Amino acid sequence: MANVAKKVSWSGRDRDDDEDGRAGETTPLLNGTGPGAAGSGRQLTPSSFLRIGQLSNVDLNEDIHELETEVPRQRPNEIPHNEKLLSLKYESLDYDNSENQLFLEEERRINHAAFRTVEIKRWVICAMIGILTGLVACFIDIVVENLAGLKYRVVKDNIDKFTAKGGLSFSLLLWATLNASVVMVGSLIVAFIEPVAAGSGIPQIKCYLNGVKIPHVVRLKTLVIKVCGVILSVVGGLAVGKEGPMIHSGSVIAAGISQGRSTSLKRDFKIFEYFRRDTEKRDFVSAGAAAGVSAAFGAPVGGVLFSLEEGASFWNQFLTWRIFFASMISTFTLNSVLSVYHGNAWDLSSPGLINFGRFDSEKMGYTIQEIPIFIFMGVVGGILGALFNALNYWLTMFRIRYIHRPCLQVVEAMLVAAVTATVGFVMIYCSRDCQPIQGSSVAYPLQLFCADGEYNSMATAFFNTPEKSVVNLFHDPPGSYNPMTLGMFTLMYFFLACWTYGLTVSAGVFIPSLLIGAAWGRLFGISLSYLTKGSIWADPGKYALMGAAAQLGGIVRMTLSLTVIMMEATGNVTYGFPIMLVLMTAKIVGDYFVEGLYDMHIQLQSVPFLHWEAPVTSHSLTAREVMSTPVTCLRRIERVGTVVDILSDTSSNHNGFPVVESNPDTTQVAGLRGLILRSQLIVLLKHKVFVERANLNLVQRRLKLKDFRDAYPRFPPIQSIHVSQDERECMIDLSEFMNPSPYTVPQEASLPRVFKLFRALGLRHLVVVDNRNEVVGMVTRKDLARYRLGKEGLEELSLAQT
Amino acid sequence: MAPPWCPCRALLPALALALLGLAAAAGPRQTPALELAQELAEELWGAGLPGDLPELEPECRSLLAAFAEGSAALTGCLGRRARPVRLCQGCHDHYRRLLAQYGSIARAVGNSSESHNCAKSILTSDRLQIVVTLSEFFNETWEAANCANCLKNNSEGLSNSTEEFLDLFNKSLTCFEHNLQGQGIDLSPNNYTEVCKNCNETYTKLNDLYNHLQRMNRQGGESEHSAHLCIDVEDAMNITRKLWSRTFNCSLPCSDTVPVIAVSSFILFLPIVFYLSSFLHSKQKKRILILPKRIQSNANLVNIQEKYS
Repeated sequence: MANVAKKVSWSGRDRDDDEDGRAGETTPLLNGTGPGAAGSGRQLTPSSFLRIGQLSNVDLNEDIHELETEVPRQRPNEIPHNEKLLSLKYESLDYDNSENQLFLEEERRINHAAFRTVEIKRWVICAMIGILTGLVACFIDIVVENLAGLKYRVVKDNIDKFTAKGGLSFSLLLWATLNASVVMVGSLIVAFIEPVAAGSGIPQIKCYLNGVKIPHVVRLKTLVIKVCGVILSVVGGLAVGKEGPMIHSGSVIAAGISQGRSTSLKRDFKIFEYFRRDTEKRDFVSAGAAAGVSAAFGAPVGGVLFSLEEGASFWNQFLTWRIFFASMISTFTLNSVLSVYHGNAWDLSSPGLINFGRFDSEKMGYTIQEIPIFIFMGVVGGILGALFNALNYWLTMFRIRYIHRPCLQVVEAMLVAAVTATVGFVMIYCSRDCQPIQGSSVAYPLQLFCADGEYNSMATAFFNTPEKSVVNLFHDPPGSYNPMTLGMFTLMYFFLACWTYGLTVSAGVFIPSLLIGAAWGRLFGISLSYLTKGSIWADPGKYALMGAAAQLGGIVRMTLSLTVIMMEATGNVTYGFPIMLVLMTAKIVGDYFVEGLYDMHIQLQSVPFLHWEAPVTSHSLTAREVMSTPVTCLRRIERVGTVVDILSDTSSNHNGFPVVESNPDTTQVAGLRGLILRSQLIVLLKHKVFVERANLNLVQRRLKLKDFRDAYPRFPPIQSIHVSQDERECMIDLSEFMNPSPYTVPQEASLPRVFKLFRALGLRHLVVVDNRNEVVGMVTRKDLARYRLGKEGLEELSLAQT
Repeated sequence: MAPPWCPCRALLPALALALLGLAAAAGPRQTPALELAQELAEELWGAGLPGDLPELEPECRSLLAAFAEGSAALTGCLGRRARPVRLCQGCHDHYRRLLAQYGSIARAVGNSSESHNCAKSILTSDRLQIVVTLSEFFNETWEAANCANCLKNNSEGLSNSTEEFLDLFNKSLTCFEHNLQGQGIDLSPNNYTEVCKNCNETYTKLNDLYNHLQRMNRQGGESEHSAHLCIDVEDAMNITRKLWSRTFNCSLPCSDTVPVIAVSSFILFLPIVFYLSSFLHSKQKKRILILPKRIQSNANLVNIQEKYS
């Protein structure tokens, strides 16, 4: 757990402590006090395993003995990183409301009208999410356009100069150095300031919406680093796009706005306090992700479907409608601001960061005969996508194992940038494919060794931002590229993009995939029209589009949302059918070999990700085998010292504790009464809600739900809470704060059943009880996520400290 | 007339024409139809319209004739100057005249109601609307050629920069010709060094001027449409460039392949070094396994474990 060790802004040494003014309060709490304090009603921690037989206050004796025999064999051992691990770093989000007395009281106080205001606030927040996401997208677009334009002009002038005089190697050096230095800055900020901003951010958001708390993923700092990182890596000429990161940016914006405050800036606007919990925040984050997609591709419906497909496991039609609203606002904002920026204010012609351009001419139509051809392209896309993923898998594994130091990561990113420039330069240098400059819309025509008035056709592909290259491949008239150029370009770009994804820079994989696909698709179209002696329907642009869809589908394996995104980006509904077929084929073929890029990266990060359903062959497993046991329980009225000791035990970093009936007889396990969370306990300790103090009338006011919300989402670590020796002897009454109705399952419930309950309700803790309602175990996300359907049937992942 | 009448006014002549046509085809035997047409014509006359509808008014007819002649002249001019392209230089007078003629048909000149009528009967009274089609064609051609770009603002004559460019263009052509003649005609295609040497100055000047014009144009024009220079200039430059670099093979850039290969292979070599060294020297990241607290007595799980390990 990363944030335990960190200094947190609000320290425990505050007003309450000072008021008390006790002498002994500074006595530091030692972590090692756990075993000594191991009292009644609880057994815990691997360290106390060896003595568990003596405690013997659970009636599972035979199992415990077996456990005991296994202990010597399972010494904590070190293994190299692999994909069959679950990291302890990741925790669940609390999507399930803790329905304690405070909550019920507050809900009772809110009347009908107040609920309506809450509803209106939700809409206001969605509108703001849309607007801000659109504005961020505009900012990225404009800055990238200008900086990249500047870079390409400088390099072009340099190349033009040296073409005449000789010394092109200097141009190469200039280009490579420019790229490497820009990428260095982009990589530095990511590697040293916020590593979670690396990559496209889609896996992280997927995990977040799945219910995994990725540290720092929705912080303002992450947003800033992400935006700057994207700009720098695109300007640095890497084979990346700025579309994927928009989804992450949108999510961060949504998470920030819905909370009405920024913990990083230490500003609290005192608004939207009702939404300060994981459940509400998740809904807004899914709206933010949708707004991000919508701004990136000009695809509002695609954005909504993306949220539906990739993220939100919990869905209702009002939420969908709100998310759609946010998406629409986002694309409209981007569109209007960019139109003003481009000088034609009321034109509204740029709905997304990338526009595929118009596909509505006569030649762009397709006929039924072409559909088998499209399906074949889907197969090719699936195979190439699987190859891409497999290569990237090995590369990522190597990176995790060997290139884990930030400075090495920065050096790697710089090298990739330099090599990308070099490969581009060499390709352009060697290409003899010259096209007349007249009537073409090339932004930076590079003449090099072409005749005057002509430009190097390879340069339109390499010497340009990837977005522009994609559009060129879709729309340049037939004959703009010769097959050799396209073939070489596809080959080179494939490896470059594969190499680039997973670097410590923030960058997306959408555009490179589209570009690879568009290149081979166009090549395919050209060869097709060559084979059919120039039939009218073999327009290469159309095949470039299908190739792009196939390649992207083969890499990311999205289905519904990607179809709609592509459809909206092309603005042509009739393409829906062939695109769907292509994506379907690509997914089926690709899934035969390896899984999608995002899922693969989630797995490599050892995230306990819950898929839609339990593994198919897991029916034989029951809750008894799945659960963790023994469970650390608290009594309803518990000693403060015990609570503090449990919380500060680093070896068992539990977050939820079943509350059992306080029973004076310590040898007997009492029935389950409720569930309390670590965060709640910490707030209670901080405010010193002790029975003795209440009796002495030392407590000024009753604790309200607001006190818990104010601490959300960064609850202070237990180390920052100081409890004096005297206070340790006090008692704490949990009955008011615990969730009195936690979800439970009997031991005999099968894994799929447990899984369904867990996944559908978004639980974090599921208590396993026996028939006397006594706690026998606890099922958490990691217990369920460790079962995975591998190549040889059901596999079990091991937990690891990362 | 009152505005609500307008659609009817547009319809009435058409109706009358149709009826008259019917009457003419049917011959004199169909007296009731003829009478009907005459009645209608009288009615129209009463509504302030001329009676002899099938006939074009004399003024209109002369306008039409002028337009026909003008368009014939312009078509001829365009056709004759298609290759090498000299459209804008040679035909801008014709075009301007045609524009004026079309304007006088369309616009109200003299007696307002009559000429309005003239415009209507020439331009919009049939499905084909040949005059409109013709004038649209010419306009589109002119736009596509982007001739406005090298004409003066009032489109009388070529602009100064264009004149300058054409001057230089002629000069370079003369230079080419001159030098080629000096060398004799049947030379091997690679042996144009004389031309390259002697005309380099003119050619460079021409090229620079063209690039300059292009840059100016791109800065001045807001929309993408005016990104092109006019077709005459573009074509002239194209011809020259093609002669220069394809036929004469003059623009031989020095290709320094060796340093480029050296530098690029150096850069391409770096990642290999990087990965190898990090593989050999960097400490492999190890994960510490945590043993889970579980009951491990079930046969199923043992099965899984076996498979797993």
